[in-house]
Amino acid sequence: MSSSEVRLEIKNKYILNIIVANLLWSFIPIVATGLFDDVSILTIIFLRFLIAGVVLLITSILIVILNNYLVPEKRIPLKELFTNLRHKNRRFYNLRTYNYYFLIGFFGIILHILFYFLALKTTSIPFAMIGTLLTIIFIALYEKGVNYEKFDVFRILFILMLTFSIIIILFVSFQGANLSGSPIETRGFIYLVLYAVTGSFLYISIERDSFSKKELKDINRNKYYKIPRALIKMSIAFVTGVIILVPLSYVFTLLPFETDITLEMISFLNDLSSLGIILIRWEIIYLIIFATILPYFLIFLANVNWKSTNLTYSQWSSILGLIDPINTLIFSVILVNAFFPYEYLIIVVVLLVITIVFRYAHEIKNVVHAVVFLKLKKGFLKPLSLKILRFYGVRYIDTLIGRYDIMLNIKLNSFRDFNYLINRKLKPMEGIDEIEVHFIDKIEKN
Amino acid sequence: MRAIILCKLGIKVIKTVIEEIIAIPQITKVMSLTGDYDLLAEIEVETSEELYEIFSEKIDLIDGIIASNTHVVMKAWEK
Repeated sequence: MSSSEVRLEIKNKYILNIIVANLLWSFIPIVATGLFDDVSILTIIFLRFLIAGVVLLITSILIVILNNYLVPEKRIPLKELFTNLRHKNRRFYNLRTYNYYFLIGFFGIILHILFYFLALKTTSIPFAMIGTLLTIIFIALYEKGVNYEKFDVFRILFILMLTFSIIIILFVSFQGANLSGSPIETRGFIYLVLYAVTGSFLYISIERDSFSKKELKDINRNKYYKIPRALIKMSIAFVTGVIILVPLSYVFTLLPFETDITLEMISFLNDLSSLGIILIRWEIIYLIIFATILPYFLIFLANVNWKSTNLTYSQWSSILGLIDPINTLIFSVILVNAFFPYEYLIIVVVLLVITIVFRYAHEIKNVVHAVVFLKLKKGFLKPLSLKILRFYGVRYIDTLIGRYDIMLNIKLNSFRDFNYLINRKLKPMEGIDEIEVHFIDKIEKN
Repeated sequence: MRAIILCKLGIKVIKTVIEEIIAIPQITKVMSLTGDYDLLAEIEVETSEELYEIFSEKIDLIDGIIASNTHVVMKAWEK
């Protein structure tokens, strides 16, 4: 057998981007806990996301300028990148795009990280990992409840694996708390649940972005339009979310009762005078560059260049998201001596790796991949092409000369979504004469 | 220039037809389908002459293809 035959080939090298991004994120709790004694959680969040947001915005503008200089025939209109933010997002309650980004930023990122850090501060690194695992369970339950997706055997199995992992982590965390004499408090649980709820909001809503017709034209002129667009999206989410923190801090300090958040906010207001000193700490530099700017840039590159024969970018992203808690657990034991006996650690890591396999099997089993041919009425080719491309699940469109006028390549996560696209979106459209659906059994060559 | 070829195949020939189609260098994508057609192949060529040559000398001669339907791609839109 030749070496080329046994060589493991990674068909989509951008999967590595997702893996590296998750590895970089997995060090966040280990690095951040080193700051908690001297710096307010809110100061960490403020500096991390404000600076990362500004850097991402500048980077996106520089990318556009460089692109327009190097490839003037594929110009990206800078002004349009911003005017397109006024487009109404049909997949998110018809809100204007900038409002949608703000909601993701404040509720999905800033509050999510705030509760994560509070959970880390009041409990332990392994215990806080329960929040990440709970998030995956919450999303699975949401998909069951809202999307009426069936609980197939792989989904049940991966939820079971996560539940077993949570039970073991809980058991070990209580054991560790007893040994150290600092019990895990009820508020730690509350922060953990809030972390999981805001995390679920983030993962569910971030997938609901939609392109305007103008943007689709820009993307088809230059596919790299998606990179500055994605950078601006995160930049607005980070900066608007973080800016709200300042007035909110003042409001919280005026409240008659005291909570962890009140104390963090008082401390944050005190930290404002020494931001420069805090900013040059290596932990903050790591959080800004290696845990925010670099991983986001890697995942945007993966998203734009994604070429997959089986799963979409978002499916792989959610499957490989488990690398983050696995790595955090391992390195919290190795680097900061978190209490987690090796025998239990091995069991949890094995359970989570099995979860990745089951999630992969679940996604593969549920993916609906089809080509749909449309015969159109005279005069509808141009207006319908862009309109149909905007529909969720339509990956690309070929306009044809022959028996049919348009071929759609569709990939969706459920038959319910597929049924919605065909029967509720395509069939009622004026200008379509005939629809022919072919499900793709297997991609033989790509 | 890109074209899409939809093929109806006879029974018990799918595997051999796929093998023969995949072997054609200009064929860039092959998918097996369920529905009226059993196979979709995408072909990339420089000219319509080349398309005709490959179709008449290779694809048309493959045993097992009962009928085919070819579409030329005018424009592709992606997101």
